[in-house]
Amino acid sequence: MRLEKCWFCSSTIYPGHGIQFVRNDAKIFRFCRSKCHKNFKMKRNPRKVKWTKAYRRLHGKDMTQDSTFEFERKRNRPQRYDRINTEKVLQAIPKISKVKATREKDHITKRLSVGRVNRRTEDRRELEQSISLVKAPSVLKEDATLTLPKQKVTVSYAQTENTPMEE
Amino acid sequence: MVQFNFKGITVVPSGKEMVDIILSRTQRQTPTVVHKGYAINRLRQFYMRKVRFTQQNFHEKLSAIVDEFPRLEGIHPFYSDLLHVLYNKDHYKLALGQVNTARNLISKVAKDYVRLLKYGDSLYRCKCLKVAALGRMCTVIKRIGPSLAYLEQVRQHMARLPSIDPNMRTILICGYPNVGKSSFMNKITRADVDVQPYAFTTKSLFVGHTDYNYLRYQVIDTPGILDRPFEDRNIIEMCSITALAHLRSAVLFFLDISGSCGYTVAQQAALFHSIKSLFLNKPLMIVCNKIDLQQLNALSEDDKRLVDEMKAEALKTLPIGGDPNAEQQVLVTMSTLTDEGVINVRNTACERILDQRVEIKMKSKKINDCLNRFHVAMPKPRDGKERPVCIPQQVSEQRAKDREVEKEKEKRKLEKDLENENGGAGVYSASLKKHYLLANDEWKEDIIPEIIDGHNVADFMDPDILERLEELEREEGFRLAGEEGDDFEIDGDNMTPEEREALNEIRKRKKALIQEHRIKKSTAESRPIVPRKFDKDRQFTTERMGRQLSGLGLDPSKAIERVRSRSVSRGRKRERSVAADGAGDDGMEIDNDGKGSNKRLRLRSVSRSRSRSRAPVEEVIPGEGFKDKEQKVKAIKLGKKSVKKRNKDARKGEADRVILNMMPKHLFSGKRGIGKTSRR
Repeated sequence: MRLEKCWFCSSTIYPGHGIQFVRNDAKIFRFCRSKCHKNFKMKRNPRKVKWTKAYRRLHGKDMTQDSTFEFERKRNRPQRYDRINTEKVLQAIPKISKVKATREKDHITKRLSVGRVNRRTEDRRELEQSISLVKAPSVLKEDATLTLPKQKVTVSYAQTENTPMEE
Repeated sequence: MVQFNFKGITVVPSGKEMVDIILSRTQRQTPTVVHKGYAINRLRQFYMRKVRFTQQNFHEKLSAIVDEFPRLEGIHPFYSDLLHVLYNKDHYKLALGQVNTARNLISKVAKDYVRLLKYGDSLYRCKCLKVAALGRMCTVIKRIGPSLAYLEQVRQHMARLPSIDPNMRTILICGYPNVGKSSFMNKITRADVDVQPYAFTTKSLFVGHTDYNYLRYQVIDTPGILDRPFEDRNIIEMCSITALAHLRSAVLFFLDISGSCGYTVAQQAALFHSIKSLFLNKPLMIVCNKIDLQQLNALSEDDKRLVDEMKAEALKTLPIGGDPNAEQQVLVTMSTLTDEGVINVRNTACERILDQRVEIKMKSKKINDCLNRFHVAMPKPRDGKERPVCIPQQVSEQRAKDREVEKEKEKRKLEKDLENENGGAGVYSASLKKHYLLANDEWKEDIIPEIIDGHNVADFMDPDILERLEELEREEGFRLAGEEGDDFEIDGDNMTPEEREALNEIRKRKKALIQEHRIKKSTAESRPIVPRKFDKDRQFTTERMGRQLSGLGLDPSKAIERVRSRSVSRGRKRERSVAADGAGDDGMEIDNDGKGSNKRLRLRSVSRSRSRSRAPVEEVIPGEGFKDKEQKVKAIKLGKKSVKKRNKDARKGEADRVILNMMPKHLFSGKRGIGKTSRR
């Protein structure tokens, strides 16, 4: 029993899911669901389809090179069963996955932090440029703080007839 | 070379069949469509092709027949004689000759008609010629119909002839009918020849094979021969005579000494003497059959004498300088019923054949070539010492061990036995892990996990995984520690809540502007584009300006005053006096929207226009000319519709055809994004 990776989106294919396609040159393509299968039949390149892992890796959205990837490697030689080793491996796997997950998260955070900084500078700039929409420059000169002026509402008492009041 | 196998001859079709086959083939495999409008050459070609095609096919088929049937001169004389006996040489040759002539005739016909077709001048004429040609060819075939039928029969019979190799070691069995030839044949070979009490059960030659001393011998069973003059013999007897005459074989002359075949020994002896000419140069054996009924020594004197005579003849065929027991080799007794002496007869016959063949080979010239290559060396014993077989001790020990192991194997318990003990195939499932070779035998029955958390366990297997994991965790620790420092830097530059509020306000304003503009844009089609100074909706009021300015933090009073003073000077004289009283003091202003001031104007003005007492627009006034209210409403609508368009174009009326801008720049300059600019 082996969990395979979908050829298109690189997600794991659990037993009982998906389709395997064997081409005439004996290359096997496994798909996790019909979405990937149909995309493949349309001859779409996964490196150009935004939501696939291949795209994300290629465009640096996800972590590409890391030592945690070395732990999980397909070995083609069958190994003799060894209880001690197997126990060690079973203990180690969750720890490795945890490390890998934190690293991936950090990679993404680092990538997005640039945007945060940019947004901050942009906000500041917008504030400086468009402050005149809420506070007149002359008023700003007198009073440098950013307290916004209140809108004054004038009420008229001269008429007997009731005129609707507006704010 | 079809030496002795005539099974490969193709089937000879009957005359009608042949005609059918070839005509239909012509129809299928040559083009069929032709019109009289084609060029004459094309028409001629078309029909010539058909004629030639038919001729070729006939030629092919007839040639096949002529070639495949064996020519009687070209095969072994035994077979040619046999064929003559069976089918009459002359008739056979004639039939084949007829086929040959037919072939030539057809070729001639075709040639003639092709020549005629070259001069055919219309479709119809060409067609007639072709029909005539094919017709004649088919008549030729029809005429040889009987020959074809005869040849087919011959072929069928020939295919069933026994395949006798004339050059192989052969034993021929002959004698009167019912003497026991076929039973003997059945005994020594696997041939299953009919054995029946009536004479001429065997009607043709039968072949069987027997082995002796690792050599294969042909045994030929013949139909019984009667003692008759040569000319009176029937076909069946002729078969055996032919075999006797042509095959170089050992002859076993069967003698029924009991007389139960229906013929006396004397008759059989007479037959023997009449055909003894055929036994020249062949090892001859007299076989006395049915001795269970009558013993040889119990024969009568006359019979014994006759038998001795035959024996004498047979002795002549022995090689000179033969064995002491020559008698045994020539006269043998047996009984097929009791199997007494049958094998002996066969062995003797085989020996005799071998001897003869070896002798002939020795006499021939060829043997001298190889004789000097043979040398059988017989080592002479050096001394009288006995030297028995020597088996080294190890070998004998090993052999003993092997024998023991084999015995053990027989005693060892098989998996199958285990299965049967524990309930059979469906109940017991063998433990496949029993024979695993592991470092520790306790682990044999372990359930090995293959998948954990979406990973394959096998992919992680590594003897030093724990060390590597430790390294990894150390690295991770360092990395996390380093990253803590970075985080703080980024968080430094945050906005204060005031700034945030201000930014939000800015964004709100911007959004409101955009929304307004969008509304304006979407209603632009039905709204007249009126310049701001007319201000139909009366939204550009001083109040509004005041509000907006005060929103920005400026004091709007001065600006409002300024505006009001300017507007009052135009036409609102009465207002000014009222406004002047209360304007500068308390800063409170008359706050009305546009509609309200209009109303006041109306109230204050003395002259009241007629519009005050106007009737509602839809009401039908008799003089106007409308039928009813709906019509009037519709008419008003129509009127307004056209006015709307003109208003949008800012035209005063129908007659207003002013073009403000005779040459708008966008129409008279610039390159087009796509298309030609040859007209402006």
